[in-house]
Amino acid sequence: MAARQTRPAGEADAIHRRHVVSALVVDRPGTLNRVSGLLRARSFNIESLTVGTTHEPGHSRMTIAIRGDDGHLRQVLAQLERLIEVLDVTDLTGRPHLELELVLVELTPPRGTADKRELEGVLASAGGEILTRDASVWRARLTAAPDAINRALEALRSHGLRRLVRAGAVAMAADSSSDIENGATPE
Amino acid sequence: MTAVPHPSAPQPERQVEPRIGARAVCEGLVREGVTTIFGYPGGTVLPIYDVLREFPLRHILVRHEQGGAHAADGFSRATGGVGVAIATSGPGAINLVTGLATAMMDSVPMVAITGNVPRALLGKDAFQETDIVGIALPVTKFATVVMDPDEVPFAVAEAFEIARSGRPGPVLLDFPKDVLQEETRVPHPEPYELRLPGLLRPVRGDVPEADELTEMIAAAERPLILSGHGVQIADATDLLSQVAERSEIPVAHTLLGIGNIDETHRLSAGYAGMHGWMHVNKMIQQCDLLIGIGCRYDDRITGKTSTFAPNAKIVHVDVDRSEIGKNVRTDLGIVADAGDLLAALLRRLPQSEPRTEWMAQLASWREVSEARSWHGSGAWREGRLSADYVVDQIGEATDHQATLVSDVGQNQMWAARYFGFRKPFHHLSSGGLGTMGYAVPAAMGAALGAPERETWAVVGDGGFQMTMQELATLVQDQIPVRIAVLNNHRLGMIRQWQEIIYDENYHSAELLGPDLVRLCEAYGIPAWRATRPDEVAGVIAEARKAPGPALIDFHLDEAQNVYPMMLPGKGLSDMVEGAAE
Ligand SMILES: Cc1ncc(C[n+]2csc(CCOP(=O)(O)OP(=O)(O)O)c2C)c(N)n1
Ligand SMILES: [Mg+2]
Repeated sequence: MAARQTRPAGEADAIHRRHVVSALVVDRPGTLNRVSGLLRARSFNIESLTVGTTHEPGHSRMTIAIRGDDGHLRQVLAQLERLIEVLDVTDLTGRPHLELELVLVELTPPRGTADKRELEGVLASAGGEILTRDASVWRARLTAAPDAINRALEALRSHGLRRLVRAGAVAMAADSSSDIENGATPE
Repeated sequence: MTAVPHPSAPQPERQVEPRIGARAVCEGLVREGVTTIFGYPGGTVLPIYDVLREFPLRHILVRHEQGGAHAADGFSRATGGVGVAIATSGPGAINLVTGLATAMMDSVPMVAITGNVPRALLGKDAFQETDIVGIALPVTKFATVVMDPDEVPFAVAEAFEIARSGRPGPVLLDFPKDVLQEETRVPHPEPYELRLPGLLRPVRGDVPEADELTEMIAAAERPLILSGHGVQIADATDLLSQVAERSEIPVAHTLLGIGNIDETHRLSAGYAGMHGWMHVNKMIQQCDLLIGIGCRYDDRITGKTSTFAPNAKIVHVDVDRSEIGKNVRTDLGIVADAGDLLAALLRRLPQSEPRTEWMAQLASWREVSEARSWHGSGAWREGRLSADYVVDQIGEATDHQATLVSDVGQNQMWAARYFGFRKPFHHLSSGGLGTMGYAVPAAMGAALGAPERETWAVVGDGGFQMTMQELATLVQDQIPVRIAVLNNHRLGMIRQWQEIIYDENYHSAELLGPDLVRLCEAYGIPAWRATRPDEVAGVIAEARKAPGPALIDFHLDEAQNVYPMMLPGKGLSDMVEGAAE
């Protein structure tokens, strides 16, 4: 458990980047409050936070997408781990993991076949599918990794994008030895 | 999120005679070894007060819930146990918050019990309803509403387990009134039945990283141990002295590390940090190996972190992984109980030769820094009443065996520097939060927790006026706390900052206070005033004879500062020293 050469928070050469954190928590009122409160107290802006039940009754899994310095974040995650409601915290950044996000979009229907074909191409690039269509509005779903989602949403701006709802990232460790669903802490 | 069925859902074979939630709470307290609770009644906790007489629990009626929380904290710190405070919903619960935050910052185990409005009214802005759990979350180790009478036995047992395990802290349990009134047949859990999968418990036993630390010690020429509160929490002060003696390493301490080592021990370096001894801070800056054990390397110790211990490899041992690397660069971080680490070191360390050069350096720096302080200067001999002399005299009179509870401000620093502590659990202070008003109520708890020791509160005139309503509690329960008010008629630390940092632009530093001797007379507390050095020993001796509480109003030189001082934003090498007298 020796932690070597850790740098104090806020050092200039710390790497600032997006992190995806997976936390196994106890499913009860207040848990979300406690986790988000701790991140707020440390001035982290949460990009997205999703929560859902797991296959084990009484446990939920949170996926938290967040920007921050590596060292600063590592320290905060140790603080998260300390919460009684939190069973395990894993920073998936920099290790094999799957990450997906679901987005619902509302579009002005395409005018002409070329436009329609392009739109379908954009949707296909982000695991998309048209869900409803009528004369005035189409609604579609995207399911893809955040990068692909972002690129597709950017492209959709020129294809009549009117409204969107993002679900936030869900992520899962994908190392061969991954055992985190059982609450083991991979070091 | 859906609610989990509570593990305590009754299993028919383990049911007990039904009793109301309030009785289950009290039974739980008794099972945890609680003897004394500090509380203030109100509508939502009256079900508890209604049955309190049936249990061997001494209830101390405080005069403000903040006092109750600090008293519970003082009880914990003086005994190493878990203090308990009770408050009603709404204003009562909110009044606990300062005390919870104080305990949280200093890792003090404590259980706070609050009532709330009946379940059906929760969230409806009912009379005296407050979301105390929401308010308490960031200032407690754990806080929860107990929503079912069947949960009560587990909730109480788990609260104590959470409060005292690993890195200790305060826990708040909020009980809607009807949960206290309805019956449950659920028995109290055995320790192995507790369901606390998220509770971090330190891995106990040998600490393999001690190998590497042993090598670092062998390679060091000027090592220094910086010991914090964690050593006392781990009850490892004997081990600390043994390690120091084995390795011939001097031991410095933080504010809450006072008592880790007898200050007269040949290897005790002294109090470090913002108002610590110059010689100790110099050692931190000059050492080549700094071993922090059970401390947080917080800003009152380090000052500017970039200039902290520039010549040293820094080791950080703490039971809380999130502390390591939080504030300072760390060459070796070890997550372990302080006692386990020290025991592991003892198993590995060979007997070292005395570090003659390093200790001689310490001695010569010490001579200079002690001479420069008021204590060494002899200013008191010139007829001025200086705080350091008062504190020193309390130490002498009590043979340094008293529990000393300090408040916040200059008085706190004088107490830390000049009392001369010998033992653990004898110095109590709000180190992390710096809560003015802590001393008198915390001393109340300490005196009840450790009645075999004399208890002194050393408090400024400002802090005293924040919680002085507890004088009535001291009288009602005849709690023998001796209060030394270091009365400079100033918010002294504010005055000091305004003098040194704000070009003597004094604002709100002067404060009026009552005639403390007459105030005490109104309460029926014997009290004395001292204005000259030659009166000090006499009034201390008188106050010590009082069977119950007593107070001494020490009128100090109003312009006395605490030196040395590390200015905000500066480092340990850059301290302001007082003019040599
Ligand atoms: C509750 C609270 N409010 C404000 C402060 C800021 N503060 C720190 S020291 C101090 C002055 C304390 O004055 P006094 O109690 O008379 O002690 P002295 O410094 O004079 O010994 C103040 C106002 C604090 N620490 N706690
Ligand atoms: Mg004062």
